[in-house]
Amino acid sequence: MAEIILQSVSKHFGEVKAVDNFVATVGDGEFVSILGPSGCGKTTMLRMVAGFEKPTAGEIYIGDRLVSSPAKGIFVPPEKRSIGMVFQSYAVWPHMSVFDNVGYPLKIKGLPKTEIADRTNTALDLVHLNGLAQRLPSQLSGGQQQRVALARALVAEPDLLLLDEPLSNLDAKLRESMRFEIKELQKKLGVTVIYVTHDQAEAMAMSDRIVVMNAGVIQQIGNPVDVYETPANKTIADFIGLVNFLTAEAGEGGVAVPALGRTVPAPSGLTGKAVAAVRPEQIALAAPGTGIAGTVIHKSYLGDAVDWRIEVGGETVRVIAPAAAFREIGAGQNIGLVVDKIMIFPA
Amino acid sequence: MINRLRQKFDAKWMAIAAAVGILVLFVVLPMLYLIWRSVFIDGAFNFATYKQVYAQSANWKAFANTFYISLVVTFVSIAISFPLAWLVGRTDLPGKGFFRTTFIASYMIPPYVGAIAWTQLLNPSVGYLNEWLVSVFKLSKAPFDIYGMGGLIWCLTLFYSPFAFITISRALEKMDPSLEEASRVAGASPLVTLWRVTLPLMFPSIIAGGVLVFIGVGSAFGIPAIIGMPAQIEVLTTRIVTYVYLGTGKGIRDATALAVSLMIAANFVLYASTWLLTRKDYVTISGKSTRPNLVELRGWKWPLTFLVSLYGFVAIFLPLASIAVTSLIKSLSRPISLDNLTIDAWLAALKNDQYMTPLWTSFVTGAAAATVATAIAVFIAYLLVKTRMRGRTIPDGLATLGGATPSIVIALALIITFSGEFGLNLYNTFGILIVAYMVKYLTMAVRTIAASLSQVHSSLEEAALNSGATWLQSLRDIMLPLIGPSIVAGWFLVFMPSFYELTMSIILYGSQTKTIGVLLYELQTYADPQDASVLAVIILIIILVGNIILRKVSKGAIGI
Repeated sequence: MAEIILQSVSKHFGEVKAVDNFVATVGDGEFVSILGPSGCGKTTMLRMVAGFEKPTAGEIYIGDRLVSSPAKGIFVPPEKRSIGMVFQSYAVWPHMSVFDNVGYPLKIKGLPKTEIADRTNTALDLVHLNGLAQRLPSQLSGGQQQRVALARALVAEPDLLLLDEPLSNLDAKLRESMRFEIKELQKKLGVTVIYVTHDQAEAMAMSDRIVVMNAGVIQQIGNPVDVYETPANKTIADFIGLVNFLTAEAGEGGVAVPALGRTVPAPSGLTGKAVAAVRPEQIALAAPGTGIAGTVIHKSYLGDAVDWRIEVGGETVRVIAPAAAFREIGAGQNIGLVVDKIMIFPA
Repeated sequence: MINRLRQKFDAKWMAIAAAVGILVLFVVLPMLYLIWRSVFIDGAFNFATYKQVYAQSANWKAFANTFYISLVVTFVSIAISFPLAWLVGRTDLPGKGFFRTTFIASYMIPPYVGAIAWTQLLNPSVGYLNEWLVSVFKLSKAPFDIYGMGGLIWCLTLFYSPFAFITISRALEKMDPSLEEASRVAGASPLVTLWRVTLPLMFPSIIAGGVLVFIGVGSAFGIPAIIGMPAQIEVLTTRIVTYVYLGTGKGIRDATALAVSLMIAANFVLYASTWLLTRKDYVTISGKSTRPNLVELRGWKWPLTFLVSLYGFVAIFLPLASIAVTSLIKSLSRPISLDNLTIDAWLAALKNDQYMTPLWTSFVTGAAAATVATAIAVFIAYLLVKTRMRGRTIPDGLATLGGATPSIVIALALIITFSGEFGLNLYNTFGILIVAYMVKYLTMAVRTIAASLSQVHSSLEEAALNSGATWLQSLRDIMLPLIGPSIVAGWFLVFMPSFYELTMSIILYGSQTKTIGVLLYELQTYADPQDASVLAVIILIIILVGNIILRKVSKGAIGI
C-alpha cells in the first residue's frame, strides 16, 4: 500500500494547460476522487499517475518511489509502477477467457501456474464471478465485464488502484450498486484508490476526499461534506448539487439578499455586488403568512418529492419539498419560505 | 393518402427493381453462363474441356505458379505490413504521418506501371539500379535480373502489399488503445504487449488483409505479363489471355475452363477466410477515444527510421523517379544528367493521335462506368441500409461478388455471354468495357455510399415524408444532399481504377476502343520504354488529381 504524492504536476500542450500545478497527497489506503466536468484535465492527471502521459513539470511519488520527474529525467513506464487500473471501456481482452484476463498480470510476473490459478480464483470470488472463469468476454454482460476488469486490476495486489470513470457505461441501477461494491472492496483490501469521475453523486458516495478540478486547476480539496456544504466558489457550488443563485450586495453590516429580505454576515474582504446561493433542499415551506412571502409559479410532482418554482421578491427559487407538504396550494397562490443556510460568493 | 403511399412505393420498387435487374443481367447471367459453357459441350454435361486443359503440363504449371506466387507474396506482404503498420501507428517513429500517407498512396500506382518501372530499374543489361550498383561496387556484371521468379515476387509484393498495410493499419487505428494500456499496467513491456495483446487482436484483420493480397496477386495480369512472360513464367491469367488471343473456339473453351478454376480457387479462399473470421469475432465496447500511448523506440529509433525510409524510397520513390526520368531522357544509352534530358518525347506523344485517342477512350468509358455504377449504387445502398425488405442484402451481395471475382473471369464471361448469344452483342464496343468496369468496381461505390447512408438517421427521411414529400422528392431534397460527398467519392472510386484498367480491357478492347492501359502494355512489349513512360506519367498525374479531388470532397476520409 502506498501514499501518493503529486507535487506541482503540470501537463502543458504548448499554450494549452491540460493540468496546471496539481498539488495533492493521497494517504495510504485513502479513497480520493478527482471530480470535474469533461475536459477539465482529470483523466490526464490520472494517466500521468499511471504512466501513460508524461508530465511537463512536477513530481509524482508512489510510496517512496519517485516515478515521474521531468526535471530529474526520471520516468518509470506503466508496467513498472505496480498499479491496478480499470478503464472506462473496461479494456477486457476479447481473445482471452475471463480466467486468462484476470490471471494475466500474474502470468507476466512469471508466477507458477498453481499460484496463478489460486490467486485468480480468489480475485474472481472477490468480484462474484466464480463459475464464469472459462467464458469469453463476448458472452458477458457489461456489468460482468466491469467486474473482470476490476478483478484483473486487483489480482496482483497493487499499491494503488486507478479507476477512470469505470461506471459510466453501466445502467443507472447497476451503477449505484457497483458504487457500494467498489467501496466495500476497497475497505476490505485497504488499497489506495484514485477515482476519476464527472458524477458528483458517485464521488460523494465513495470518497474519503474529493479533489474538484476545473480547466486544469484544482478548485477545492475536501471531504464530501466540505465540498457540498462549503464550496470554495460559485463554480463548485453550481457543479456539485442543485443551487439557487440570488442577487446580493455586500455593504456595511453584512451582505443583503433583497429577495429573501435577509442580511447575512459577509465573508472577509467582500464588497459590492455578490451572489447568494441556497440549495433547494435547504429551503422549507411554511404556511402562507409565515416566513418569507412567496407566490407559487409552478409545481412538479416527482413521486417522492415535489419540485416547486416560487417567486420571492422578483426572483425565482427552486424548492424541493416532501410530496405530502401543502398539497392544497397550487400555482398563483401564496406560500411561506423558511431559508436555512445561505452561502455568499463574489459576483 | 393511400394513393400517395402507393406512388411512393411504386417509385421505390421500380428504381430498386431496375438496379437489381441490371445486376442480374450483367453479373449473374455471365457468371452462370461461363460455368455452364465450361461443363456443357453441345448441350451435354462433359468434363472433357477440363481434362483436356489440365492434360497440358503448361496449364498445370500455371496453376501451381499462381498458387505458389500468391502464397509467397501474401506471407511476405504480411511480414512487411504488420511491423510497418505498428511502427507507424503505435510508436514515436519520426515522420510516421508522412510514411503512412506514402504507403497508402502507393496503392494508387497501377501495378503494370510499377512493373514497367522495375524493368527499367533492374533490366539485366541497362537497368538504372543495376548500372548504379555495378559502378559503385565495381561489379563485373549486373547483380539483379528482374525477369525471373524473384523479380516477379518482388514487384508483386511492392504493389500488392498496400492492401495488407491499409487493412492492418485501419484496424490498428480502430482498436481501443486501452486494451493495450491495460496490458501495460498489468506489468507487460511494450514488446510483450505487442505479442500477447496487439497481435492476437489484429489476427482477423491480418487474415483479411492477407486474403486481399492473395486474391489480388492470383488475379493479377499486368505484372505477370510484363515481368513473368519474358522469363517464361506463366500464371493462370496470362494463360487465359493467351488462349483468348488464339481467337479459336477451342481457345475460348480452354480459357473458360481455366477461368472457372481461378474463380473457384478465389471464392474458396474468400469463403474459407470469412468462415475463419466469423469464428473469431471480437466485439469490444469502446470508450472515449484516447490517443494511443506511443511506444518509445529509444535506441532503435534511428535504425528503424532508416529502414522504413529505405523501404519507402525503394518501393515508391525509385519506380516513380525511374518512369519520370525515362520519359524525359534523350538517349537511353547515355547516363542520366541534365543535358541528357528533353521534353521532345512529351511533345511528340501529346500530338500523337494514336496515343491521345486511347487516353480519351479510357476517360470516357471510365466516366460512363462510374456514372452508371454510382446511380445503381445509390439504390443498392438505400435498399441495404434504409429498408427492412426481405432479400435487401442480395443486390449488395451481387455487387460484392462482382468485386471479388478476378477481373479476367469477368471479362471472359462478358465476351462469351454478350457476343450475340442472348440477343445482345457488345463485342468490340465501348459498352462491353463500361459493363466490365461497372461490374468489377460497383462494390466500391456501394460500400462508400452505404457507409454514408447509415450515418443519416431515418427520422430525417420520415420527417420529409411526413411533410408531404413523395419518396423521390425526399430522396432528391433530403437524402442526396446529405450523402452528396459520398456519391462524388463513390464516383471517383469507380472512375480511377476503370481509367487505368488493363486486365479486362486487354481481352475486351476492339480496334476502335483501345484503352490507355492496353496501349501502355503494347508500348512496353514492343519496347518503346520512353513513350510508355510518358503515358505512365500522364496516368499517374490524372490519378493524383482524382485522388486530391476525392480527399477534398470526403474531407480526407476517403482516398483510393
